[in-house]
Amino acid sequence: MARRDIATLFRTPWIIISRSLAFIIQLFVFAYLMSGLITSYHGFFGYYAVGSVVATVASISFIIGYDIFEEAEEGLLDYLLTLPIPRREFIIGRALGGAIRAMIYTIPMFVIVAVLENFANPLSLLAAFLDMSLLAFGVTGLSITVAVSVRSANRFDVVLALLELAVSRASTALYPFNYLPGYVQAIAPYSPVTFAADSARAALTGFSLDVLGVAGLVAFVAIFLGLGATFYFRRLEGGVYA
Amino acid sequence: MTIQDEEILGLLGPNGAGKTTLMLMMGTVYRPTSGNISVNGLDVVQHPNDVRKMIGIAFQDPRVDGILGAFDVLNWHLKMTTNLDKVEREDRVEKVLRAVDLWDARNKRTWLMSGGMRKKVEDCKVLAQRPKIAVFDEPTAFLDVPSRLLMWKMIRELRDEGSTVIVATNMMDEAERLSDRVAIVNLGRLVAIDTPEQLKGKTKGGEVLELTVGNGQEFPRECLTQFSEVRDVSQEDNKVTVYLSGGRLLLPKIVETLTNRGVKIDSVHLKEVTLEDVFLNYTGHRLE
Repeated sequence: MARRDIATLFRTPWIIISRSLAFIIQLFVFAYLMSGLITSYHGFFGYYAVGSVVATVASISFIIGYDIFEEAEEGLLDYLLTLPIPRREFIIGRALGGAIRAMIYTIPMFVIVAVLENFANPLSLLAAFLDMSLLAFGVTGLSITVAVSVRSANRFDVVLALLELAVSRASTALYPFNYLPGYVQAIAPYSPVTFAADSARAALTGFSLDVLGVAGLVAFVAIFLGLGATFYFRRLEGGVYA
Repeated sequence: MTIQDEEILGLLGPNGAGKTTLMLMMGTVYRPTSGNISVNGLDVVQHPNDVRKMIGIAFQDPRVDGILGAFDVLNWHLKMTTNLDKVEREDRVEKVLRAVDLWDARNKRTWLMSGGMRKKVEDCKVLAQRPKIAVFDEPTAFLDVPSRLLMWKMIRELRDEGSTVIVATNMMDEAERLSDRVAIVNLGRLVAIDTPEQLKGKTKGGEVLELTVGNGQEFPRECLTQFSEVRDVSQEDNKVTVYLSGGRLLLPKIVETLTNRGVKIDSVHLKEVTLEDVFLNYTGHRLE
């Protein structure tokens, strides 16, 4: 199932190409311009570059929820459920597939940023990669939880879009904490994207381990991957799709 | 209801009768709210994983990844449901696609295919899988006549190779021509189950007289039941169905009796019992 989910994303390469182009344009136009305008924050380009890779990981990880919801609506889920795969493996496969494809998808962007910013320490790169992987698993769990909890298609679209906006934008991924409006500052420290972005930056630029950030990510993964799997399992085994 | 090994059982019933629900409960997709289903002696709720290994379901509406071509859809299905190696899988997929004349279109994305082509791909999943228990939900919906006949032939071959086949249909001719036995279901209940011949034989009289009478006319039922050859009379709108024996001899008398009672007869049709009559006899209404 994980391989199927990964293959699904890569069967539509134009999505990957267009998003990668959007990332490059955002980096070389917006971030470059902003870093010139902002004089009070040194190295905004590097800050934004790392943060936008982390935000992209979150964004792609959300897609699994749309896939699951669509499959249920189109009846493809019924077919998948007739296949000889134990339900638990089925659910683990979906979560794994959702997270792994988000990581595969963002590797080229991560490489671009690493080259641009001259991040060469293997341990730092590995630590940042692990931070983003944890984020991918947690967001996949969150997305699955929403996909199996909301029935109406319109409500699902709105809820997932708002969540995506909240966890990515109300975070320190793209803008430094001190520059955020007060009401965003109140939420941002609790965003999983903040945990991942701050931890990745700490690893890449400070060669240090952001223990709090990593602990926050681990908690986020444990809660939402657990919730997602439990909710999904209940719906599948309870025959709610009937 | 017990389904025998290596038979084709036709599940005949109108839309909403519960055919698909029954199939999806057998396939462990839906959980039964009451009652039990055993597949090869294994309870579907207690042993869902073992049951899934034995069953292949072809859905009424094709459930295929639209972005994939027919070849990839079937290849992936076999990868998930069989232990065949790559060469064997591809060989089997090629054979079945050639048989249904889809080989040339094997790489065309299924969302670009016509309804009939997509339906063939759906059926081919189970035909290529060759499961112990093959389930087809309206296998020939959207198919033209030659394709229907071909699909019936391939389903029979699947049975001959050792699969037990269940075919849900609301088409009388499909149930009659394809099935070894037919189960009539209506409103979520099993009404009758037997071979098509036995079901027809059990129907009162063995012959059916269909009369179309003037609209809104009160039909004097008792004037026909007075004949000893008449077993039953039913009416639906202006269509009257008379179950009887010795119809050829009785027909003039019936027409005369009704005419004398002032009933305007628009048409008369005497025929052997069909599955449609069996269905009408058991359920009280026609299968639309």
